[in-house]
Amino acid sequence: MRARIAALMGKEFAEFRASPSAILPVIIVVLVTLTIPFIVLVAIPAMTGENIADDAAIGKAIELAVKYMPALGGLSREAAAEAFLFQQFLLLFLLAPIVGAVSLAAYSVVGEKQGRTLEPLLTTPMTTAEILIAKVLASFAPALAVEVIGVVAYLLLMSIFAEPGVLGAVLGMRTAILLGLIGPLGALVALQATIAVSSRVNDARSAQQIAVLIVLPLVAMVVGQVAGAFILTTVILAGVALVLAILWLLLLLLSVALFDRETILTRWR
Amino acid sequence: MKDVSFEIQRGDVFGLLGPNGAGKTTTLRMIGGLILPTGGHVTIDGTRIDRANADAIRRRIGFLTETPGLWDHLTVTANLSTYAKLFGVTQHVEATERMLRRFDLWDRRADRAATLSKGMKQKLALARALVHDPEIVLLDEPTANLDPQTARGVRDLVGELSGRGRAVIVSTHNLDEIERIATRVALVSTSLIAIGEPKALRRSVFGRRLRVTLAPTGSSVSDLAAVAARQGATDVTTDGNALTMRLDDPDTQVPTIVAALVGAGAAIRSAHDEEQSLEEVYIRLLAERTPS
Repeated sequence: MRARIAALMGKEFAEFRASPSAILPVIIVVLVTLTIPFIVLVAIPAMTGENIADDAAIGKAIELAVKYMPALGGLSREAAAEAFLFQQFLLLFLLAPIVGAVSLAAYSVVGEKQGRTLEPLLTTPMTTAEILIAKVLASFAPALAVEVIGVVAYLLLMSIFAEPGVLGAVLGMRTAILLGLIGPLGALVALQATIAVSSRVNDARSAQQIAVLIVLPLVAMVVGQVAGAFILTTVILAGVALVLAILWLLLLLLSVALFDRETILTRWR
Repeated sequence: MKDVSFEIQRGDVFGLLGPNGAGKTTTLRMIGGLILPTGGHVTIDGTRIDRANADAIRRRIGFLTETPGLWDHLTVTANLSTYAKLFGVTQHVEATERMLRRFDLWDRRADRAATLSKGMKQKLALARALVHDPEIVLLDEPTANLDPQTARGVRDLVGELSGRGRAVIVSTHNLDEIERIATRVALVSTSLIAIGEPKALRRSVFGRRLRVTLAPTGSSVSDLAAVAARQGATDVTTDGNALTMRLDDPDTQVPTIVAALVGAGAAIRSAHDEEQSLEEVYIRLLAERTPS
């Protein structure tokens, strides 16, 4: 089973290598995610001479956040504001693999249909679950790799440009859960949903739209925290990760059920 | 598809014939374990294909699909070796090389599949269907769009597979070709219309027919047709200077009829069994089935 999944993933990677532009959306999203925080938190304040910590809404959000991020309490107002906001921007990295990888995933099944390469694939001993897992993981792996590189660069830049102590305050259990669990699991959920839809449609764009349903709650998390509406504690984040893991498994089962070989073979001609 | 039942032995080359939409590809897909019949069953070596074992059964089958369906961005080697791995071929590197050499694709192994000619793509698709040395080989339109030389290569390959005890099922519109390679054929049109060896089918539809070619003499061909009919020939037709007729017992009737024709003034150039083409059989059987 693993050998067959690995073989199909190998083929997907070879196709990405043959068409490197396919991975471009992931790279663009990561570059934008990497750049914006430093423009907003470092470059603009330096140019205008204004301090972000003076913003009333930010101040209120930090007051709320200190309860759950004690490390902020030991920092100056300016550094605490930076640390808080750098962590919020970190949430954007969760979106990078989703937005980027979804375009790869959407095309991976629809592309096989359009290129009429799906029928030969269905003649092999691969089970439906193996095909779908291989497709999801093959889209997930490069997006995750780009995300990891992006996060490492983000932390490096933070250590260079941010106030002293900011990097230490950002690194913690919340960040680990966000980047290590919620990011990858959110991406898997989005990819699995995309793959499920892509086996029922003949247009990659239709399949991509489902990803919006996953992106929106994550964006709401970012906005809600920045606005001071709520703070996602470590426990809540762990709960979100668990829910995402269960959702992924349910979507995998749903994808297998929706992947109707007969319909695919007879309708997509 | 309904009311379709047939059995295929090792070494058989079985031709599946029928008009477009007759269900040939659907039949192949059911045999190949790609789709399951909603009624009835497909059995391989006593094992009935079902949802639980279809994936494992497919390991024993090589299926050339109607279109080559190659991954255009991948190299020839990558296309083939991926399938070798998917079919669980342990020595996949060696198997890939062997098939590339067998199908004269070795020199193109590093090229992208998209750059191959139609014939080469079909060869690669064939290599892909055979890379795991399957016991059952399903070929859907294997020579469609191929030049005569490549098509002959495919026919030779089918013969070779049959010689090695593989069961080969070929779906095609090329009746001339199937007549040359198939040991048995089935005509389907959403159900089974006829099945048998090409020769037996021909006889069952047209009977044994005698064709007598005449040299011009004073006797009219139509008069000579009447002479043949009086000697027991049926369905006597004329075609220029030739007569064709159906005989129920050729061994005893031919000498009598020839003697009668000569007696009536005919100068006979030749007399031999007339072989109807499989195409004639096909058209006749389908016409009989189509309501007028």
